[in-house]
Amino acid sequence: MATRNEVTLIGRGARVRGRITGSATLEILGLVDGEILVDGDLTVGDTGMVASDLSGRRVVVRGAVKGNVTGEESVHLEDGAKVVGDVRAPRIAISPGALVRGHVQTAGAGGAAARPRAAAKPGAAPAARPAAAKPAAAAPKPAAVPAARGSAPRGAVLAGISQTNLATSHMPPARKSPPPPIVPALKKGAKGALAKKR
Amino acid sequence: MASTVIGAGITIEGEITTDEDVVVQGTVRGKLNAKDGVVVEQGGVVEADVTGGPLTVAGSVIGNISSTDRVDLQPGARVVGNVKATRITIADGAQFKGNVDMDV
Repeated sequence: MATRNEVTLIGRGARVRGRITGSATLEILGLVDGEILVDGDLTVGDTGMVASDLSGRRVVVRGAVKGNVTGEESVHLEDGAKVVGDVRAPRIAISPGALVRGHVQTAGAGGAAARPRAAAKPGAAPAARPAAAKPAAAAPKPAAVPAARGSAPRGAVLAGISQTNLATSHMPPARKSPPPPIVPALKKGAKGALAKKR
Repeated sequence: MASTVIGAGITIEGEITTDEDVVVQGTVRGKLNAKDGVVVEQGGVVEADVTGGPLTVAGSVIGNISSTDRVDLQPGARVVGNVKATRITIADGAQFKGNVDMDV
């Protein structure tokens, strides 16, 4: 393999516990339990798992992320991606087969208006979102196949997307100030949920 | 053909555990546990205890090294820490300060 400089690869047998920071292009095929902050492009491969927030310039996710995903330029959630957390970037693409659970926000979609909603999330959203997701998941398959896992999450994704679109389209397009207050609040919740699950 | 590469410009603070090869061109602080080979390239900085298989250092390692195989300190390498390995080579031009335990 030609290992160019500036390319970092966390192999599929690797496990990193701790922060990864820097300016290189980063590809994750293993497990990372810690914050990832890079200036370059960031790819979470299909075998990659990240149990914390991550941010990069252009972020591509094909694996699992439990944390907020922030792209300076764009975020692509491709087939096989599983994201539990908020997604934020000027441009976001969610492909069919990608799972998202969390707030999704692109540029020009009312940054300031979205903040109270995100702040209220620990209480309000978990109650609202599963309720919205479950009927959507149940409706498309009344007759057949409880084992058809693929359709249920996809329904959930669509529900999630339409929900966010709805929400953002009703919001006044006021765009202001960076998100710092959100992140710690959500991080706590996410960490708590993580700890509970294990 | 390394499966994990810490590129130049990247800093990892924490613990890396892997059962494959590791190449360090950037910075690692904390711990580095590999089952297979570890290469610290020129410009690479490891401020961590390192365990693994064959270890080649051309960069800087500050920390104790424990290898199940051999340790090669190449010219330009800088190592501060104790080295435990079955075999060790220190090339002319490598800087080294620490104890050597060769498991005799």
